[in-house]
Amino acid sequence: MTELRRDLIMGQWVIVHTQDSWAPERYERESRHRERLSTCQFCPGKEFFTPPEIDAIRPEGSAANAPGWRVRVVPNKFPALRIEGNLDERQEGVYTFFNGIGAHEVLIETPVHDKNLAEFTDEEIAHVISKYQSRFTDLRKDKRFKYIVLFRNYGESAGATVGHPHSQIIALPMVPKYVLQELQGAQKYYEEKGRCVYCDILAQEYSDQERIITENEHFIVFCPFAPRYPFECWIFPKKHNADFSAIDDKERYALGRILKDVLSRMKACLNDPPYNYYCHVSPINSKGEDHEPPWCHGGKLDVSHCFHWHIEIIPKLTRTTGFERGTGFYMVRTDPRMAAGYLRAVSSPNSS
Amino acid sequence: MPQLRRDPLSGRWIIVATERARRPGNFVDVNDGTLEENPQACPLCHPDREPVYAEEDVRIIPSRQYSPESIAVLERRHHGLYDRITGIGIHEIVIETPDHIANMADLDVRQIQHVIRAYAHRFRDLEKNSSLANILVYKNHGPTISHRHIQHTCSHILATPVRPRRVKEKLQEAQKYFEAKKRCLYCDVILQEREDGKRLVLETQHFIAVTPFAARFLFEVWILPKDHHCDFAEGIQDREDDLAGILKGILQKLKEGLDDPAYNLIVQTAPYRRKGDDYKWETLEKDYHWHIEIIPRLTQVAGFEKGTGFYICGIPPEDTAEYLREEETP
Repeated sequence: MTELRRDLIMGQWVIVHTQDSWAPERYERESRHRERLSTCQFCPGKEFFTPPEIDAIRPEGSAANAPGWRVRVVPNKFPALRIEGNLDERQEGVYTFFNGIGAHEVLIETPVHDKNLAEFTDEEIAHVISKYQSRFTDLRKDKRFKYIVLFRNYGESAGATVGHPHSQIIALPMVPKYVLQELQGAQKYYEEKGRCVYCDILAQEYSDQERIITENEHFIVFCPFAPRYPFECWIFPKKHNADFSAIDDKERYALGRILKDVLSRMKACLNDPPYNYYCHVSPINSKGEDHEPPWCHGGKLDVSHCFHWHIEIIPKLTRTTGFERGTGFYMVRTDPRMAAGYLRAVSSPNSS
Repeated sequence: MPQLRRDPLSGRWIIVATERARRPGNFVDVNDGTLEENPQACPLCHPDREPVYAEEDVRIIPSRQYSPESIAVLERRHHGLYDRITGIGIHEIVIETPDHIANMADLDVRQIQHVIRAYAHRFRDLEKNSSLANILVYKNHGPTISHRHIQHTCSHILATPVRPRRVKEKLQEAQKYFEAKKRCLYCDVILQEREDGKRLVLETQHFIAVTPFAARFLFEVWILPKDHHCDFAEGIQDREDDLAGILKGILQKLKEGLDDPAYNLIVQTAPYRRKGDDYKWETLEKDYHWHIEIIPRLTQVAGFEKGTGFYICGIPPEDTAEYLREEETP
């Protein structure tokens, strides 16, 4: 069981493992272990090692939880949050507790253990994105959930514990602080100027040109003006769109191509770095129920007019220092203009 | 000249080093860490710059990276949507001892007391410069990317014309609580922690050390003064020896109990109060409470945390507190 705890000073939420907690020695610093192919639990033929699948792309006639799949979605065997139950608010002096309710799923992107996402075919990567979308659409039906995070950890030092290509999906019963700040920032901008801040940012990136890496008919990727990490890249839909689940087949392929393109540029330019990417989407079920406290739906935030869903990619090049963790003040040692220049200069094998 | 840049969405400021941009190749193998084990080659054993502070074996020197000249041109500019400030302020290095000692935990209490006094001195001194809005005192122990790994214990002072996001958030949350309850949030926290005892690691006459209720990181420890004071430099007057004692105690417990982990230490204190800026200062003295955060670096921050600011803490702080309480130190 886990608990959700609110830091009442920061207004920030954390998940605490209250049972089956790891002892200090279970955390390896500078772990060097490489998992062997034979022990991988995400490979075909090992389906019984994972909890039963929730969803998959399979040829007609192939049975669930058996080989033959192309993409497979399963519950996380070691979930940060549990799907059953209610939040059950409790109070202890100044502190507030909730049960750790949520969904935590793993999306296994290919049956091939050592395939790099940058080398997927257009169709394979489009399949991954279509499963992102269908999980998003499905989880959104659960009214307890207010936010869905799609993310990918690649490489051990970026937090990946399994080498087999996979992404993760976490559905949360509240809008996380960092996302909420972003949404509120967008809303404030809209109130002041009557325009979408992301549309304005894209317009300025087009006019400046210097931070753009590449683009195709539906998407653009650039290094943000004020990044948190060196070589951070953002993929944005060109058209104003706050709803990730609404992208169509053409956009899905275009997104797959640009994602592959930027990942292969990073691979070439930064020597196959570990990385994280995550998708920032609009909150779900944001109308809220009367009995729900405002922190969970972000004050019934409607951002359809002032938000763009997007993907942020962060190569893991530096050690996070506690200074950044403690202050929220980030030091970036490469100007994003230069970073974009390096990434542009790489000839991408699959640039569109 | 490095720049401060403002993210129009979150209001967060970051530092961008423009002219010293590293080529991508320079990032490879950062985990190697260049160890400066030889005292003969240690830049802190033989500082080549004039100290701005020199007392009781503590020296504070301007950093080479952000030279004193950078303060001269705090020029605010905007380009379309984007705001930036040229120059970042003042960055100084506190050489905590002339001896080539790696960990602050190994200094004697008296020397740590001198270091604390040096921090407070620079707090007051830099306040006179009206273009500075905030001052951070922090330590990076162990390898990091932003500073060459020097095995000579030192701290950093960074005084900037803007306030970091998390500093602002802490101030805002404390102010909100004070508006609602007319009490200091931190005083209430201290009261409860002393009563509960389960997250308490150490207690001295004037300070407590606790693992925070909603810890973001494993073995995170906060040191809080029992006396209410918003300001570090004023709050520690006549308390330097007691603070040095509890600080050494915690650092030793971390060193012994967790096998000398990399850690960071941050002094969270009220920013410089400047007239005409956007913050309501009237209640600050009553609503804010300075403290020290110590964060061991034991885990990797992954995509979920980076994307949401939502942290997963693998061990309850009650358990880490118990573990640290039981760690015997000399």
